[in-house]
Amino acid sequence: MVFKFFIPTSLAHFLAAILLFFALASCKGDIPPLDREEHDLPRDAEISRSEPGKYGGVLVTAESQQPRTFNPLVAEDAYSSEAIGRFLNGLTTYHPIKEKVVPELALSWDISKDKRAITMELRRGVRWSDGEPFTADDVIFTFKALFDQRYPNRYMGQYTIAGEAIEFEKLDRYTVRFKTARPYSPFLYVIGFIGILPRHVHFDAFERGELLQQWSMRTAMHAPRELVGTGPFRVRSFRPGQRIVYEPNPHYWRVDSQGQRLPYVDYLITRYVQDRNTETVLFASGQIDAAAITPGDVVGVRKNASLHDYTVHHRGPATGIRFLWFNQKPGESQAGTAYVEPHKLEWFTSRKFRQAILHGFNREGLIQSVYFGRAQLLHSIISPANERWHNPDVPRYHYDPDRALELLRQDGFEPDQDGHLVDKKGNQVSFQVYASEGDDITPQILSTFRENMRDLGITVRIRYLDFGTLVARVSRHFEYEGAMMGFTGGADPSGGRAIYLSSGRLHLWNPEQEEPQTDWEARIDELVYASEETFDLDKRVSYVHQMQEVFSEELPLLYLVTPYAYVGLKNRWQNVRIPSMGSVIWNIDELYLGPEK
Amino acid sequence: MLKHLFKEITRRPMGVACLVILAVLYLGTVFSQFLAPYLPTDQDLTSAYHPPTRIVLEDWRPHVQVYEQVDPAAARYEPIEGETAPIKFFAAGEEYRFWGFIPAQMRLFQVEEPHRIYLLGSDGTGRDVFSRLLYGAQVSLSIGFIGICITMTLGFLVGGIAGYFGGRTDFLAMRLVEFIIAVPSLYLLIALRGALAEHFEPEQMYLVIVIILSLIGWAGAARIIRGMALSLRQRPFVLAAEVMGQSSLRILFRHFLPNLASYLLVAATLSIPAYILAEAALSFLGLGIQEPGTSWGLMLQQAQELKVFTLNLWWLLTPGAAIFITVITFNMLGDVLRDIVDPRQQMVKR
Repeated sequence: MVFKFFIPTSLAHFLAAILLFFALASCKGDIPPLDREEHDLPRDAEISRSEPGKYGGVLVTAESQQPRTFNPLVAEDAYSSEAIGRFLNGLTTYHPIKEKVVPELALSWDISKDKRAITMELRRGVRWSDGEPFTADDVIFTFKALFDQRYPNRYMGQYTIAGEAIEFEKLDRYTVRFKTARPYSPFLYVIGFIGILPRHVHFDAFERGELLQQWSMRTAMHAPRELVGTGPFRVRSFRPGQRIVYEPNPHYWRVDSQGQRLPYVDYLITRYVQDRNTETVLFASGQIDAAAITPGDVVGVRKNASLHDYTVHHRGPATGIRFLWFNQKPGESQAGTAYVEPHKLEWFTSRKFRQAILHGFNREGLIQSVYFGRAQLLHSIISPANERWHNPDVPRYHYDPDRALELLRQDGFEPDQDGHLVDKKGNQVSFQVYASEGDDITPQILSTFRENMRDLGITVRIRYLDFGTLVARVSRHFEYEGAMMGFTGGADPSGGRAIYLSSGRLHLWNPEQEEPQTDWEARIDELVYASEETFDLDKRVSYVHQMQEVFSEELPLLYLVTPYAYVGLKNRWQNVRIPSMGSVIWNIDELYLGPEK
Repeated sequence: MLKHLFKEITRRPMGVACLVILAVLYLGTVFSQFLAPYLPTDQDLTSAYHPPTRIVLEDWRPHVQVYEQVDPAAARYEPIEGETAPIKFFAAGEEYRFWGFIPAQMRLFQVEEPHRIYLLGSDGTGRDVFSRLLYGAQVSLSIGFIGICITMTLGFLVGGIAGYFGGRTDFLAMRLVEFIIAVPSLYLLIALRGALAEHFEPEQMYLVIVIILSLIGWAGAARIIRGMALSLRQRPFVLAAEVMGQSSLRILFRHFLPNLASYLLVAATLSIPAYILAEAALSFLGLGIQEPGTSWGLMLQQAQELKVFTLNLWWLLTPGAAIFITVITFNMLGDVLRDIVDPRQQMVKR
């Protein structure tokens, strides 16, 4: 059977065959059988509405980055958070198909009349993966830990509303009540961010002040059973640089309609690979079950679809946004030099200048070339993937060099006899853009930008830095003129607070302002606060739409394009429902192996 | 002596072949602005990953075939039957500065806009790979020469002085050499590149790399030259020069240099490929030349994507072929030179 692969029909097959050879050579034998422990179902078990399946199967994915910790209070990156999410649950979670918040460890909730108190009833009978019962004490312990000054973490700021920490109290063994200083409509969404920690495991470490040292990579390597959770899986083994293996949690609280405890799969394996290309090659050669595919690779990967029985699904626009921006921070650094030279600051703070630059940038051409036609223009700060919140009617800036020049003229810029653009005071227009290295598309985008700007008479210099240096430069030293970066998108705009608010840490062009420096930034602040205080969804949407209009009119961020997201998945998996946003295997507990073809 | 060497080379077919190939490569580099139909940064976003254009004869004059994009998602182009554009030779085009200072307009060949000629296809933003190959050669082929100039000079000075004076000078120089040899060069390069990147323009990065490479590279040459100098010092003509009261520097340059010249020449020829490969490797790792600059290594780095294989964009790999040819040629030339200088170690049959 194997020899079939060694007929190199094309170079791609040949390479895949070589990889397969090494994969086979490194196989150590059969998969050990899984011992499924039998335990009573919890009283408040959730019954899955999906089609009942049968036990068995191994689902393999690949990732180019690995978790750095398994402690939710320490985790800062998406990869650690994903691993933690496999074995910990929050009180609520966002359902990407229903597009609303659904209960997880909370069974139901009740919001008081003044909208400030939320009473949550917890699921009864749920047990931790080591068999201990889950109660309100665990919830209270978790929130106490994250507001403890000894343990700085990212949730502290998230759960500080209108300057005050959320209050929480235990009403009885299965009821907790939260109180916020002001009405806060995204509460149910954000309260699900933190995974509830087992009090019985961590209480001693908490008292000793060592909570942040718990659940490190060492724990996962040497004592994976100590990672106790309520989630669908528990960690079976973790080998940094190689793989992490999960097995079903025998105390998980979800069952199917036939009373079988979920999840169906025997093992969930994530292999750590060198880069995105390797992941794609592994998928295209049938060695992993799911992978994200970049627009340029879609056609190539689809060629093998029937051979390895998989499908490459089109998911529509990606959820993240990518943009260029100019530094608008006034003032001087400690060394006494201005963050931005005064005459350049004058350009960058001019709306017409920013609009002209975007009009002069051939983004349409980029879509056609670099993205193989599989992308669309981005016009708003919220990606079109987020249909509920995205505003399609914002000012748009198509490629139009004449319009760009007209706007520049209105702003006092004129080309001189050599074709260089000069401002009112006779300064030639030139600026430098920083970008992070290590991505194959960024240089193509920026070299196109540079060529387009040259046509307008503007000299652009581009510098590539490693990601950490770039972040330090734009968020701590503020000594730059322009930069390019991206943000991943969340379901609810309350996750973008730090970007939108003028006091925000990620308000990139001029962060952490004490008072909004411009009228439009003050207007955005108003709209964000208003949207967080109203509980009427239509009103919230309208505020967020207005906010996007202001952003697209003022253009503090010059949006690039939104590539379409593609994901490849093997056809043998059943119950697959691909949402427009988020992970493809979000309902991993419901997936089961269909009959082999 | 050089004349003699040249004569000897031309007597061997292998030597002639190497000289011809290198002459073609270097002439192409020197006249790249004239030979390349486009600037290395000229984009055409409507023809990304365009395959090499076919050349057809019409009325006994060469024309390029015109293509249309049939499937943007797979970067597939089909020739349009019967539609061609004439190639214009020695015609005026966009103005450029030849060698940086002579204003010129003439190019060897070009096609009337909006049609384009892609002898070796185009890359992801529709830039002509052939033009980029020629401009990239300016970096990739000169880096070796600049590199060996620095290493051979340093190697000769340090090695010669150590060998000639001996004693404490020799001891110090050789410990310095050992110190430099002991430095793990790749990590040093990565660290230096990280520290210096912020202070240099992408175009200057090229010089920085050569200097870093050669400052690490001279130590090996210095060791061998020191050994040769030690034996030279015992030779009667050196003793005679000393007795006659010639200055040390004069002895070094008048008596040592001519005797070491043959070794230096062979060593230099054989170490040029190492520089070309090192530049390619560094650029491939993202540590070397960066956009908007271009070099063969950088072009290869930009081609290390899965789609180059799945969509069969073979023309993006031509810089690899160029590096291969250059390195092989330099190595063969080095062998031929060594045969001439040191016939005892003959490798290539006459």
